[in-house]
Amino acid sequence: MTDRLEPRSEVVSATLVAEAGTWERFEALYRASRDDVYAYVATLLRDRVTAEDVTAQAFERAYRRRRTFDRRRGEERAWLFGIARNAALDELRRRKRLAPLAMDPVEDVDPADVALRRTAVRAALAGLSARDRELVALKFHAGLSNGELGRILGLSESAVGTRLHRVIEKLRKACDE
Amino acid sequence: MNELEVIDAALAGDPVDPEHAELAELVLLLRDERPVPAPEVAARLDGRLRSAPSPRRRPATRWWAFAPAGGLAVAVVVAVVVGSGGGRGRPMSSSSGVAHVARGVPLSRLAPALTPATSASGAFAPNPTFPGRKQVQSSELYLSTRPSHMEDVAYQVLVIVRRYNGYVNNSTVSSGANGYSQFQLTVPSSSLSPALGDLSTLQYAQVVSRTDNTNDVTDQFNGASNELAEAQALRTSLLKQLQNASTQTQIDALQAQLHDANARIGGAQSTLRSLSRQISYSQISLTVQTGHAAPVPVSGGSFTIGKAAHDAGRVLTVAAGVALIALAGLVPVALVVAAVWWIAELVRRRRREQALDMA
Repeated sequence: MTDRLEPRSEVVSATLVAEAGTWERFEALYRASRDDVYAYVATLLRDRVTAEDVTAQAFERAYRRRRTFDRRRGEERAWLFGIARNAALDELRRRKRLAPLAMDPVEDVDPADVALRRTAVRAALAGLSARDRELVALKFHAGLSNGELGRILGLSESAVGTRLHRVIEKLRKACDE
Repeated sequence: MNELEVIDAALAGDPVDPEHAELAELVLLLRDERPVPAPEVAARLDGRLRSAPSPRRRPATRWWAFAPAGGLAVAVVVAVVVGSGGGRGRPMSSSSGVAHVARGVPLSRLAPALTPATSASGAFAPNPTFPGRKQVQSSELYLSTRPSHMEDVAYQVLVIVRRYNGYVNNSTVSSGANGYSQFQLTVPSSSLSPALGDLSTLQYAQVVSRTDNTNDVTDQFNGASNELAEAQALRTSLLKQLQNASTQTQIDALQAQLHDANARIGGAQSTLRSLSRQISYSQISLTVQTGHAAPVPVSGGSFTIGKAAHDAGRVLTVAAGVALIALAGLVPVALVVAAVWWIAELVRRRRREQALDMA
């Protein structure tokens, strides 16, 4: 599966789960969202090994509960990420600790100043609280819209915007230090 | 362009104003920090998905598919319960050879003094008679039927009366929606019990109430008999005296006494005839009215769509009642379960959020 970073809302058919719930359609949802869910869970847990398990659990739960999806309550991506979030939080509860994130080896081919900026951003991201890091993961790694973020986190869209602004300010400040 | 718009534009790869270049760069750097599953991780995830139960391998249990079978099972159970007399109404018409029993107005309410007993076969036994006693028996019987069956019921009444050598004193038969029939019947007392039994098990009619009356007239009968014997003895004596009478005055006096004795004899004989007739023949006051739901004929009747529909309706009624009672019992339980589930869900959600804050 290729690495896709653009928002997936347009990629996934709006009727994937709600209208049929067939295996084929669920599989399509899986293919369209697997990397996004993994990225979100890995960022939140900072543990890629566990992220793999939690991602798999999230899709298994989603499949078992596919009939609970209600289109009137939002798009299936928001529904899926809600399930993934619960699975990740259950993992946090189970561990009661944060495991260090096993980062992929970075191919350092960037110019020196870009590499510096990247390192600073990485450090700033690591310094964020789990709640702020979750917001970054959902917004920048999973590519969800502010509306979808609101539905997953139980916030209004304007509240999501406010929180995003604060997180960005924290990151800017951390990068400048 | 505000900050949020810049973020979305940068994520979408759209150009942003130069003044927001720093923010756009931060957004892209954040995006680049996105963990990407290694190819082997992606392969393992795909493998887990394929090994997960799919509809092809293990279809999800469709519990609703068992609903018809479940409903049928419940209906069978209810039918068995009702058919075996579990209900408080009359037995099902499909049951064998059981006569109608009173339904609707309780007998005890209509005839508290003379509530008839019910025999094993469902027919009523009249009040007992005692050997050597002179008793006058009568019965009042109230039946109900459908308006369309009024004439059939009236005809059956006449057939039964004729069968037992009885007769109709008077009758009124009115058909129509508010049909009403009344019969004053006389049957030999020796046939009263079977006649009442037959009248209580008429086709198309059911017993609403029945009252049996027994009046002991032994003293009256014996008194009249004694009076007759005395009067006859007096008459015999007077006739002898008359034969020996010599004067006109004696003859006139004896003839006057003889006249009185004959009158006493006639009165006593009349009383005895009347009592004997009342003892030998019993009166039945039979009223047939519409308005109560009359049963479909039971034993001996052939299977008809009407009977089947009636039985089906009754089964459904009882089943609905059972379901209602079960529902009444389940609702509180369901509410408690729902409350517990809601609280558990609330606690679990709070613990998840706490786990996020503690991370």
